[in-house]
Amino acid sequence: MSLNRDEVVGLPTGASTVHVERGPVSKFARSVTDPNPVYHDLAAAREAGFDSIPAPPTFTFSAASHWGAFPEDQPEDPTGGAGNPMGRLMGDLRKEGGLILHGEQEFVYHKPMQVGETLRREGKIVDLYTKEAKGKTMTFLVTETVFKDDAGDPVVTERFNLIHRR
Amino acid sequence: MAKPIAKLRYDDLSEGDEAPALSHELTRSGLVAYAGASGDMNPMHHDEVQAKAAGLPSVFGHGMLSMGILGRALTDWAGVGNLTEYRARFTKQTWPGETLSTRIVVTGKSQTEEGKRVSVDVTLCNQDGEVKLAGTATVAVA
Repeated sequence: MSLNRDEVVGLPTGASTVHVERGPVSKFARSVTDPNPVYHDLAAAREAGFDSIPAPPTFTFSAASHWGAFPEDQPEDPTGGAGNPMGRLMGDLRKEGGLILHGEQEFVYHKPMQVGETLRREGKIVDLYTKEAKGKTMTFLVTETVFKDDAGDPVVTERFNLIHRR
Repeated sequence: MAKPIAKLRYDDLSEGDEAPALSHELTRSGLVAYAGASGDMNPMHHDEVQAKAAGLPSVFGHGMLSMGILGRALTDWAGVGNLTEYRARFTKQTWPGETLSTRIVVTGKSQTEEGKRVSVDVTLCNQDGEVKLAGTATVAVA
């Protein structure tokens, strides 16, 4: 393995302020084939116990990093302008050949995520380890991203596990 | 303060119970829709020319689309907002033309400080029974 655990674990992957918006939530729900009216109709959402339209369970992955972040209220960049180190690390692994795969994904839901909320997203690399299996070396790179509300309470915690197999 | 309504009752559920299954046929248009909605623009999921140049038979599905389809089966069953944990391992790639089916099986029940919980094993398989995604979830119940 070319990556050094001590240099990698703890590196910030990024931070942003994210506005949970109705259009992207509705479009995302349709794209995961979910026609449930709670994602599209405010009356249906309220009937299901929400204050506003809720986000589907996997919305935070990717979608909440791409939609709803605007320049006027972004926090200081914890990577110091270097950007998410995962891109560089994946590049390093790719040079060794083999395959890079999204191996595992985990969500812990602390409270509902709803349209109209402004969340603070912060991520870091939390683990790096290798396993030998069937004559192949598997390198696992794990990031954790937490979305917090205005009060600083966690709303969703995500763990993303990338596998490099060669 | 949102209080999502639980659709399931603790006393009604036993180990081995299954949630209603959902089936969905993957299409290239569906992959493009997910790419656009999620912002995941990895060309292996929408650009057939690049995918073939990389040695693949065609574009393939996003693991997170599989997890999203299974997530729908979970929230249809337990009610939106009642999922407390959801974990998946992506075991095989998915391909356009495959019909993916969800399976959700109750594995345990517990009463926690936060409330009543039911744990499940989840899988997504294609029409030949090949497992694409295997994982676990926990749902809040009444």
